[in-house]
Amino acid sequence: MINRKKFDFALAAYLIILIVMGCVAIYSATTTTIGDYIHTENNWWKQIIFAAVSLGCAFLLLRLPMPIFELIVLPAFVLNLLLLIAVLFTPAVNGSHRWFSLGGLNYQPSESAKILTILMVARVISKQHLTEVRQIFYGLGITLVPILLILIEPDFGTTLVFFFSLLAMLVAAEVPLVYILLLISPVISIVSSLWWVAIVVWILLLLFLLLRAKLSWIAVSITGAINVFLALIMPVFWNGLKNYQQDRVLSFIDPMRDPLGAGYQIIQSKIAVGSGAIIGKGWLQGTQKNMNFLPEHHTDFIFSVIGEEFGFLGSLLLLFVFILFFQRLATAVGELKIKERKIAAAGILAYLMFQTFINVGMNIGLVPATGIPLPFISYGGSNLLINTLAVGVVLKYLNERGFMI
Amino acid sequence: MTRSVPTLVFRISLGVLMAVLVGALFRLQVVKGSYYKNVAESNFVRIRRIVATRGEIYDCKYRPIVTNVPSHNLYLTSGKIADTGKLAEFLAANFGIKPEDLRKEVFQQRFKTYEEILLADNIPYETVLALSERLNEFPELSFRTGTTRSYAYPNHFTGYVGRIDEKEYQQFAAEDYSLNAYIGKTGLERYYEVLLRGRDGKEFIQVDAQGKSLELFKDNISVAPLNGLSLVLSIDNDLQSYANEVFPAGRKGCVIVTDIQTGGILAYLSKPDYDPNVFMQKISPETWEALNSKEKPLLDRIIHATYPPGSVFKPIIGSKGLETGVIDRNTRLSPCVGGLRIGNRFFRCWSHIGHGSLSIVDAHRFSCDVFFYDLINRMNLDAVFQHVKACGLVDRTGIDLPNERDGFFPDTAYYRNVRHIKSALNGYKANLGIGQGEVLCTPLQINTFYAAVARDGLWIEPHLLVSTMGRSRISRDEVQPLQKHRLPWSKNTMQVIHDAIWAVTNAPGGTARAINVPGTTTFGKTGSAENYMGKMTHAWFTGYIVTDKPEIVVTVFMENAGGGGGVCAPVANKIFNYYMGNIERIKAPATIPPQLRTPGEAATPTETPPPETNQATPAPETPTQDPPQ
Repeated sequence: MINRKKFDFALAAYLIILIVMGCVAIYSATTTTIGDYIHTENNWWKQIIFAAVSLGCAFLLLRLPMPIFELIVLPAFVLNLLLLIAVLFTPAVNGSHRWFSLGGLNYQPSESAKILTILMVARVISKQHLTEVRQIFYGLGITLVPILLILIEPDFGTTLVFFFSLLAMLVAAEVPLVYILLLISPVISIVSSLWWVAIVVWILLLLFLLLRAKLSWIAVSITGAINVFLALIMPVFWNGLKNYQQDRVLSFIDPMRDPLGAGYQIIQSKIAVGSGAIIGKGWLQGTQKNMNFLPEHHTDFIFSVIGEEFGFLGSLLLLFVFILFFQRLATAVGELKIKERKIAAAGILAYLMFQTFINVGMNIGLVPATGIPLPFISYGGSNLLINTLAVGVVLKYLNERGFMI
Repeated sequence: MTRSVPTLVFRISLGVLMAVLVGALFRLQVVKGSYYKNVAESNFVRIRRIVATRGEIYDCKYRPIVTNVPSHNLYLTSGKIADTGKLAEFLAANFGIKPEDLRKEVFQQRFKTYEEILLADNIPYETVLALSERLNEFPELSFRTGTTRSYAYPNHFTGYVGRIDEKEYQQFAAEDYSLNAYIGKTGLERYYEVLLRGRDGKEFIQVDAQGKSLELFKDNISVAPLNGLSLVLSIDNDLQSYANEVFPAGRKGCVIVTDIQTGGILAYLSKPDYDPNVFMQKISPETWEALNSKEKPLLDRIIHATYPPGSVFKPIIGSKGLETGVIDRNTRLSPCVGGLRIGNRFFRCWSHIGHGSLSIVDAHRFSCDVFFYDLINRMNLDAVFQHVKACGLVDRTGIDLPNERDGFFPDTAYYRNVRHIKSALNGYKANLGIGQGEVLCTPLQINTFYAAVARDGLWIEPHLLVSTMGRSRISRDEVQPLQKHRLPWSKNTMQVIHDAIWAVTNAPGGTARAINVPGTTTFGKTGSAENYMGKMTHAWFTGYIVTDKPEIVVTVFMENAGGGGGVCAPVANKIFNYYMGNIERIKAPATIPPQLRTPGEAATPTETPPPETNQATPAPETPTQDPPQ
């Protein structure tokens, strides 16, 4: 059922290029050179096997008849929610309950929840005759269930991904931007409460925009009141926190406050990437990587190895491939005419793009460390499988173009 | 291509996010690239562990038994190795480290190549001086001072520490041990590892090759180490060394002296012994051979070996007879004619002449076997088993040392199911009645039982630890509550047994007349147990002295040394007399030396520690290792 004329070879090609780049980086990240003694862990060929399996699964997905695919989304989503509950009862690893371990393979239900939630939200909010408000509330309602379960694990970083895909899907559903502004206004209010000038400017700007959009007076005043209240209550709430709780929040926002914890990883990553300079130290030649200052740098900190060994030019090349890949996905969103598929593709685009930005940003000290891997590059089977399937879904949608319209 | 609001929003977002990343990368790699290159080359930016000082061990007068002494150590940072061959050659020539061992160590730590590996410890200072110059050729190697343990005298209770091995490292993964850590391997060092160890601190090192701060972080935040707690034992070093002095040279056996009031052990001597200090260095093949000779110097004969108790077991059988009412104080059993016929076998008494018909007190005094052959055969074996168990001679005592052994006493099920004996058990029971046959005890079990007898039947768990010292003071009862229970005896039984073992050391013809301690009432029992280890019997004496209150119980045991009254009782007598001669000094409370005082504590000598007030605020502690050069 794969239509050669409609199959998006460019998107598939970018996907494979990214996976290959990942394997090259993983090979280096797991190699240790001590004098004339060189040791490489077997992660790189494991990743190749994972890649083959993932691409195979994506291929099967493409062959799957569309009605069957549409039929399994809801049961799969419910099953996934059950797994998210079940995972809370597994023994804690590093203080959180995230993984099922099955004979050496680890599976995170929060990974598959990302793609299934996107498909579920897309299905519901694309229904005809829904008002914008309902679209927003249905979307939020569906997204909040897995988010709450994942917060219990706890895994804060992953829940952010859900929010960003939801926003993107609402944009794709052509919900007026002013509603999306309403949706994110509390977050901005909380952030702006750090400085009273920012509060005043923000609230005025918000009211202005809302009035421009010709919202009713009631809606505007309620929104304004809520935001003013949030901005004013935040300092009170903050001062009510215990010292160590404040410290924890501040260290999350600014890891450099905690040199013995998160700050240590960020600074080591920055040194590795920075010391790569323009052309890098060469493949397998990373000295910081070799000293193993960062534990497990084949997973979340894989970009530090790329930055160190291939320098600014290598990093640019990687980002360039990512840009082409995301451009192609954005185009796909425009090309898909069925509303549900368009919205789903937008969610997938946002989720991959957000993860890429957060991970690279974390590696160069731009954003807090949240434990989000770099899509297609970081080592890890279930992550690679889910990301590849997500792209597979878009490929499938593109492949089915024109059948219904 | 389709132009629509959503795609436009996505393209703009993508453009902005990627522009931010490229900009940040440009700043980091192009603008500040050479700065970070410098930082990377210094190789010094890392978290360093500040090793906590291990607690020391003192006797009841705060005199040292185990102390920390400085030592020179050689460390390797495997990530900096340039030439493995040259390094292996250097290490083999100067420190006797085999190339394959080096390779193994390096491989083990391949995920932590920046962390230092402890290659050799306790290096003589001359070697350090001689090799310091050559170390410049090997930036991966460095000498630093650390600490090692020093043990005041050979003994079996302190145990010793050693480098953590791979199995222990896995087992205690959650406890934050470093691969270079020392961990208690045996004895108190192992039993109280949690108290002694403390918690390592850590600090962030941010210096360049010249030692200048790189100022990657504003503050030099560090977590101070929490030093381990020192232990104060009930052991009295004077008494311990006196026991060692009077124990006959060349004999194998043990001496246990216990304070009856507390159950604390004053002297704990097992012979032959070994010097734990030998484990602090690489052990030479000769030393290793000596440690594993057939004399078994590593064996702690007090708790790691079980022996037939022989006649010291008789009060247990006697008391059961009294309790069940088979006999009373005056009951005379079958007359001893140098033995007793049971079934078609003749069971000999140790005396060929025979003792005639005896009461329980005289049966103890002369240690007549026939009385007990007859007595146990008038009782139910399983009831006797229960009684022996309740007297604490089956289960291990629970002393605060690892790997203590259980004793053994058979019941009917054992004979039927394990030994498959269908016939009557009278013959087997007869042997059990005199502490022979299958019955086995550790010397400590015997000692603890007699201490309970001295306390009018209150059994208290024997122990070495009195309290911890230093950062906080925790008494033994707070660390782990002491087990206590009463022996299953009536007052009357107690009185008869007291009279019986008083007769052993005092009445004419008693087997332990060698015991003579002026100013005290003495009690005791001898034993000479036949065994499979040799022709000579195992010799036992166990007894106690009472002034206005019970003082100490002494158990002396010697393997294959002959009769207990002849060889063991004189040793015990010397210890009793030494104790009485020095009783004021031994009982005088000692002043707590300043380094052991808990913060805020007065210097006044106190017998019972004052209640702890400031456990929550540990004293500021200084790092114990020098920063790397």
